[in-house]
Amino acid sequence: MHDAYHALYTVVLIALSLMTLLCLERAVRGPSIASRINAINMICTLTLSMICVLTLMLSEGYLADVALIYAMVSFLAVVVLCKVYMGVALDQQEKEGKKE
Amino acid sequence: MIEGVRFGLTAVFLLGGLAVLATGVRGLYRFRFALNRIHAASMCDTLGLLGLLVGLSISAGDGWVVLKFALTMVFLWIASPTASHLIARLEATTIYHLDRNMEVLEK
Repeated sequence: MHDAYHALYTVVLIALSLMTLLCLERAVRGPSIASRINAINMICTLTLSMICVLTLMLSEGYLADVALIYAMVSFLAVVVLCKVYMGVALDQQEKEGKKE
Repeated sequence: MIEGVRFGLTAVFLLGGLAVLATGVRGLYRFRFALNRIHAASMCDTLGLLGLLVGLSISAGDGWVVLKFALTMVFLWIASPTASHLIARLEATTIYHLDRNMEVLEK
């Protein structure tokens, strides 16, 4: 039974890492800032699920705490990035308005 | 017998969560506009991760681990729509031709 669980977790991990690579390509190629941040957010979700799978695969309970903290940090990163780019965009629009 | 049922349930939930996540990644490639992509990505955050965590909770023996997974899920259900809202507002602010993507009622 242990081997079966191990095989299942391995399959799930391989699929998740392939999806992460695809999302990374999307983040590099995405045309606008918002779609890049969106792809980064998705990579964070996939990494979070990888940590959760590893919690049971390695049977280390503390990795569940790491997953919780990781969720908070990724949310904070998205909020800060959005605020920063929003400020930059508003400044640019104000400058363009003054020029005209 | 009980172990077999447990393994089957775990496999069903894990693979279901993976299918939802794969649909979200496919959506990132299929949709052209960022506002459409947000829809695919936020579906991943809520339903895909829920499937994975329910599957993992069924196979976990430790109660504390299940509790922490539940806490992660509750936090993500609050945080992920907020993040999607912020990204959508950023896209609506920075986009050059908003009316080419969708019908704009008032600006």
